[in-house]
Amino acid sequence: MKDTAVSLRNVSFRYSNGDKGVLDSVGLEIKRGECVLLCGSSGCGKTTVTRSINGLMPHYYEGNSEGEVEVFGRNIKDTPIEDLAGTVGSVFQNPRRQFFCVDTTAEIAFGCENMGLPENEILRRLNSTVSEMHIENLLERSIFNLSGGEKQKIACAGVSAMLPDLIVLDEPTSNLDLDAVYELRSIMKLWKEQGKTIVIAEHRLGWLRGLCDRIVYLDNGRIVKEFSGSEFFGLDNTEINALGLRALNMKSNYMDLPKGLTEIKKCGTSGVLTVENFTYSYGGRNALNIKKLDIPKGSVTAIVGHNGAGKSTFTKCLCGLLKGFRGRVVSDRKPLRPKDMMKLSYMVMQDVNHQLFAETVLEEAMLGADDSDEPKALELLTKLEIAEYKDRHPMSLSGGQKQRTAIASALMAGKKLLVFDEPTSGLDFSSMKCTSELIHSLGEDVTVMIVTHDMELIESCCTHVLHIENGTIE
Amino acid sequence: MAGLFTADVENRGLVLDPRTKLAVVITLVVFALGGTGSYIKAVQWGTIVLSIIPILLLFTAKQWKKGLILGGIFSAMKISQLLLITKLNSPLLSLLGICCMVFVRLMPGLIMGAYMLSSTTVSEFIAAMHRMHIPQQITIPLSVMFRFFPTVFEEISMINTAMKMRDIRIGGKNSSKLIEYRLVPLMVCSVNIGSELSAAALTRGLGTKVKRTNICRIGFHLPDIVIFAALLALYLLWILGMIGVVK
Repeated sequence: MKDTAVSLRNVSFRYSNGDKGVLDSVGLEIKRGECVLLCGSSGCGKTTVTRSINGLMPHYYEGNSEGEVEVFGRNIKDTPIEDLAGTVGSVFQNPRRQFFCVDTTAEIAFGCENMGLPENEILRRLNSTVSEMHIENLLERSIFNLSGGEKQKIACAGVSAMLPDLIVLDEPTSNLDLDAVYELRSIMKLWKEQGKTIVIAEHRLGWLRGLCDRIVYLDNGRIVKEFSGSEFFGLDNTEINALGLRALNMKSNYMDLPKGLTEIKKCGTSGVLTVENFTYSYGGRNALNIKKLDIPKGSVTAIVGHNGAGKSTFTKCLCGLLKGFRGRVVSDRKPLRPKDMMKLSYMVMQDVNHQLFAETVLEEAMLGADDSDEPKALELLTKLEIAEYKDRHPMSLSGGQKQRTAIASALMAGKKLLVFDEPTSGLDFSSMKCTSELIHSLGEDVTVMIVTHDMELIESCCTHVLHIENGTIE
Repeated sequence: MAGLFTADVENRGLVLDPRTKLAVVITLVVFALGGTGSYIKAVQWGTIVLSIIPILLLFTAKQWKKGLILGGIFSAMKISQLLLITKLNSPLLSLLGICCMVFVRLMPGLIMGAYMLSSTTVSEFIAAMHRMHIPQQITIPLSVMFRFFPTVFEEISMINTAMKMRDIRIGGKNSSKLIEYRLVPLMVCSVNIGSELSAAALTRGLGTKVKRTNICRIGFHLPDIVIFAALLALYLLWILGMIGVVK
């Protein structure tokens, strides 16, 4: 028994708010020092398994739970979450939402402070964690000035400093670019060398090659299959996609394309949108400098580049959302002012919750339109496959349906340029496919730009790739 | 007011102990706003020096523009108060009186209060409260609340952007529902963030029975001592004035 880190015996769970991700008699033994990957499509219950290990279920997320969970011999049911703090460390999906302090040093020390360790001990742990992870440059910084990847590193450091024997990660890379993912990988490698037990639930799989000893595949709240590391990472993409999982490795890395616009698939076009002399500086730094760029109308263009390359600055300028940028967009020889661009374009944000206002899906679609346009709106909702939800509140829909509602409202308002900000981050294979088909179905009337790190999405639906680095395409 | 306890630790100039800042605010309220001891000449001059402290602090935090404008307004108002007030008659006098009330008596305290909130981090705040022996049951909920503000402001700005793109604005077709349209997404997002944030805090042991340590180094250094000495001097002048030693 001494070698067992975690044991789940016949665990079933149903959220009392009806959330997806139920568990149905799950049994799992994890040995000390093992690195286990939990995978499966959205709602398969992998996040719930991580929550059952770090105590958030049943202590924080309420529901109907059965079965026994033991972590290092302690029964989770009888242990308050906060007492598990020094034993189980957790890293979550959204780095923005797991920080408590505003400066990095305090944040790393936060967990240790809560445990009531003596000050000297905290400082000692802080120093050793920082030098192990090589994050000296991130100390004494303001949380608000960090990139997503840097925030996730600080979160890992905060967990590490508490010296837990078991670390649970719940989709830690959903909001990270590829470089940051590989930095997280080296942190996990370090933990593994230190003999820590790691449980990770993930959609993105390729980066875990050579790291995970055992892969547990869940479907509908049950463990369906287990693989060894070499077995699993030997599967080819068709087999992986058949399981509803994201590809292990991609044939093409679009980040390797030269800077500027490259056509990767033919598309029927009717004219171009020309971007001329786009410049924007932010805090005295030149964030964007694009002399000339022709975007074919009706194309689907992926915008790729490293974090901080200026991708989102570019799209914001394009939508006329930033004040103080210079340059213009020309369409059919007609120059457009920022105000016109704002009329013409629409951005589907990463968190769609920010842009749904009305009480019903139909009302949402009709917000910018005349009442006489209702038949047109209904037709559009049918085309986007959300007609059956027309009387539901948008906030009660699933993520994908919300995305569709936002698109419906944009199309009703006559928008011709749709910008998507990371539409598939944290989505499984079938949801990614749905988004891709949706973008396809928009037709040649609408020009689409997608800011994304998702190579699989680019391969399945984009016609062009725009590679930006350091704010330029030259 | 997006600056509540979100101090930019990389770039905030002179670091004072939170308790020093609190003492300056209280003294400003007593002397500048309350007009305590204003019949004593020495206290009057002392109050002017005290009122300049928040403006100097703005300069140390490299907020040049704000410091210059506010400093300019303060000195202009104070000088005209000193020179003109005896020479004016009623309508102009009451106008100047109102301006002096706002800019000379109220404003320094407000600047100092805003500076105090925007230049203190959450951990410094907790540490200072701890040193003043205020119980954890009060400080922890307060710090959670302060932690939440910047996030909510971030959400509001994103919702505003989304509304701009949808052309929902005052004077538009839906202006009667502007508030509702803003509140619904804000509430949904805030609830989501709040629940994720508390889950994360719990897994990191916030709320255990053990007594929390705090590694945040707060304490009185030379600038704090100088400021405290100045404050003390002012109180001393006032007492001496009351017993008639100084005028």
